[in-house]
Amino acid sequence: MRLANLSFRYTRRAPWVLHDVDLDLPAGTVAEVTGRNGAGKSTLLRLLAGTTPPSRGRISGRPPIVGYAPEIFPVEQPFTVTAYLSHMAAVRGVGSAAIDPWVERLGMTALLDVPLGDLSKGSAHKVGLAQALLIPPGLLILDEPFSGLDAQARAELPRVIEEVSASGGIVVVSDHQNGLAGHPGVLPLKVENGTVRHFDPLAGGSTPIDAPSTAVIEIVVDASDAEAIARKLQAEGYEATIRAEQRAAAHEAPLSIEPRAEGYEAAVHAERRAATADYQPVAQGETS
Amino acid sequence: MKPTMFLTRFKIAAYIRSHRVIHPFVGLLAIMIVLYSVRVAAGQELSSYADSAALLVPVFGWAARGLLDTEPDVQRLLSVTAAGRPGREVAGGILASIAVNAGLAVLALAVPLAIGFRATPGPGVVVGGLALHVLSLLTGTALGALTSRPILPDPATSALVLLGGYVAMLLVSLVPLTLLTVPIISWMRAAGQASFLSRSLPSLAAITLFWCALGLFAYVRLRRTRA
Repeated sequence: MRLANLSFRYTRRAPWVLHDVDLDLPAGTVAEVTGRNGAGKSTLLRLLAGTTPPSRGRISGRPPIVGYAPEIFPVEQPFTVTAYLSHMAAVRGVGSAAIDPWVERLGMTALLDVPLGDLSKGSAHKVGLAQALLIPPGLLILDEPFSGLDAQARAELPRVIEEVSASGGIVVVSDHQNGLAGHPGVLPLKVENGTVRHFDPLAGGSTPIDAPSTAVIEIVVDASDAEAIARKLQAEGYEATIRAEQRAAAHEAPLSIEPRAEGYEAAVHAERRAATADYQPVAQGETS
Repeated sequence: MKPTMFLTRFKIAAYIRSHRVIHPFVGLLAIMIVLYSVRVAAGQELSSYADSAALLVPVFGWAARGLLDTEPDVQRLLSVTAAGRPGREVAGGILASIAVNAGLAVLALAVPLAIGFRATPGPGVVVGGLALHVLSLLTGTALGALTSRPILPDPATSALVLLGGYVAMLLVSLVPLTLLTVPIISWMRAAGQASFLSRSLPSLAAITLFWCALGLFAYVRLRRTRA
């Protein structure tokens, strides 16, 4: 699959969201797309999926079967999980039996008769993943697939990605949760300044994909807020520890977070660490 | 073809289960009450059918718009990937709108036959009524599609354009030159005349179908850039 001079903007007078993107994604590629919020990651994924036409340029060699799991699954639909997945299976030309393996693998047995509108965020995310996988996709697009997933689904997803890749499929993942940490051979892509580039970790001084490591972000907060913020970050799956420090301004405690946290003003000191293949939230919050 | 048909079924199921279908149904009911609360005298049936077809255009438009807007924006993207091509998703939406409107049109034809006409009309009247309601539902479907969320994201603007478009069609079709728009007023005028089926209907149908095709073509073109 090849992207040639691909550009996109919403209207003719709007600024380019992406411009002159050239990208080659051979069969079996697992690409991880990173970039700040609003950089154009989801737009890139939709262009790749073929749901949004490019303003300029072209995409050639897109596999005929595309699975697309959105960042937020649209639960505002009047169906139960079973009814919804059955409809999607029929549209994809397979019977309802295609749902069964994914019910088991993603741990959805208890959800089958639940209306979509009653699903929790993580459960809705599983339905989004299941509909993308009803038939083996030649191109699997996953927008923040690890977000809100429980341990079973979180452990299963890298295996699913590996299976699609091993059978010659292309997998493109936008991932803030670092769920692909330790996955071998991931092609790192970064969306930045309206274009997509191969992320050269050495040049950028960031995490090499071949030898995954973690980075420490130091966030200075008021000591009285430190514990609450640490708990919040730990709940989101980050390893957060509190280190009290005497500073001129006083009452400030630097807080270490691994590997990436969004939504906080943070200075990255890029302390390289050993590879962390098995990434789990670690509760180490401790004030001293 | 199969993905489009199953997608059509999915969209109709979502629309009916969401209960949004009640809105156009209430509109249809109101028009039926206005038209047939006093039974129509023998010989006036085709005129009544023409009035019904003309008044139902915004109801059909509302139904089509409601059906196309029932699907969340992200689900539309999922439907595109499931169906394999964006064109199938667009076609599924149009077919689902036509199917729902066909159901409403059948009611609009059957209600007067059951309780609205004093005497049962001949087959010619029923065929004429059927033809007029097909033209009406196609006009409404095109209008509804052009005012659906992918084309006009703001609900207030969309509702105004739908009703404004209908009023504009009515006003422009008052002009004797019938080519300028869907000739809604001409449907009503011609239906009262003798030999409507053989003399007036073919040309009125051709003009209406031309505008409907143009409207739906515009919708399909616009959907190429507005997912």
